[in-house]
Amino acid sequence: LIMKENSLRLVSPSQAMRELGLKEHEIRFTSTVTIHDPQPTQGTVERLYTHLKGILKDHSIQHMPDGSVMIDSVLIKVSGSSEEEETKDFLVSWPYEDEDLGSHLMTLLRKGLPKTVEA
Amino acid sequence: RDDNADFTPPKPHVWGAVQVEQFVQDLEKNGVTDVKVEDTPSGHIIHLQSEDTLIQIEDGSTHIFCEGNEDLRIKLRNILLKCLSKF
Repeated sequence: LIMKENSLRLVSPSQAMRELGLKEHEIRFTSTVTIHDPQPTQGTVERLYTHLKGILKDHSIQHMPDGSVMIDSVLIKVSGSSEEEETKDFLVSWPYEDEDLGSHLMTLLRKGLPKTVEA
Repeated sequence: RDDNADFTPPKPHVWGAVQVEQFVQDLEKNGVTDVKVEDTPSGHIIHLQSEDTLIQIEDGSTHIFCEGNEDLRIKLRNILLKCLSKF
């Protein structure tokens, strides 16, 4: 709500900041979870996608062309761990606006993926 | 039944720039002492050497890279938020 020149207007927070000359500060987090998973990376990504589709029904979950999975604005990238081929690194990256979901996904991933998921 | 049970308030909008000296002081006050600050062309990188964690601070953004330690990440997030203005 902006009061300017004796009038009140309801504007979006981003517009209010622009009008007041304030510069938004973007905060982003990137964290990693390592899981024991001897399958090829492609299979792990498929299981991750199906697993999340099954439990996060109120969120948009997309399989991206580069092999990552996007849950609202949270990005998960899976890669084989450099030290040991039987483990996978899940790189999870999210903006502060999606802090609750990012933090929730970190907790979920630390519990591991189910061995098989029903399609 | 509480109709607001599932309601989570939106995150505050954060603005301004991080004063690196103040941020480092706040880290130390909170027990994060193994801190190395490096200047970059666009800002600073703070390296927490024993935790394998990097904090990239620029004029309009901060990116925290950590290795899965959620307790540390949340601590860093809270210290960072105290250094910024919000509404």
